[in-house]
Amino acid sequence: MSKYNLPKSFDYKDVNVLKQFITETGKIIPARVTGVTASNQRKLTKYIKIARFLALIPYTDMHK
Amino acid sequence: MNKYEAVIILNPNLSSKVDAFLKDFESLLSSNSFKILKTEDVGRRQLAYSINNHNKGHYILFNLEGEPSKLIDIENKIKYNESIIRHLFINVKTHNGEDSQLLVESKTKKKDVEEENVSSKAEELKASKTTEKNDDKEQVVEESNDEASVENNAEEVNDE
Repeated sequence: MSKYNLPKSFDYKDVNVLKQFITETGKIIPARVTGVTASNQRKLTKYIKIARFLALIPYTDMHK
Repeated sequence: MNKYEAVIILNPNLSSKVDAFLKDFESLLSSNSFKILKTEDVGRRQLAYSINNHNKGHYILFNLEGEPSKLIDIENKIKYNESIIRHLFINVKTHNGEDSQLLVESKTKKKDVEEENVSSKAEELKASKTTEKNDDKEQVVEESNDEASVENNAEEVNDE
């Protein structure tokens, strides 16, 4: 359908899944753009924030 | 009893001492009546941003089970362990028995590197030998190289 691929189950360790849903600058892409369901978007934001803390994905492209 | 997932990022310079750390950590957990259900040693990995001037980290994942009140004691101990550059405990409803994406990725990467090494060696051999021989004999050399690379793979697997 689109370039966004969300498997049935995912978590903060699935870096390749999460990377689809952040911009080049590291921001979380809104659900109105990606078309994921509201409940999946809530999961995504939670897991993206965990993955950022664990340095799996960046907060921003301005890291020193 | 709660179920937890723990992620610990170790100082990459201490990668060789992981086994010692694992022993220490396990004894710390068991002294606090925690059960380790699964350990995944992901290995060194590029950090998305530098933490305490480290650009790489040694990731280790755990599936744990234990009492929430004891977890505070464990975290207090971990806080002052300087070999840990970051740690996280997450409460989960159920443990997913499968290998995490991180571990799978690191395994495939390792394999790729090994294959590259083997194939580059084989190519070097080919290059050095083919210069001396005719076109007809090249094929024979290639075949023997393939066999040799298979043997190399087998040896490396045994080493692990």
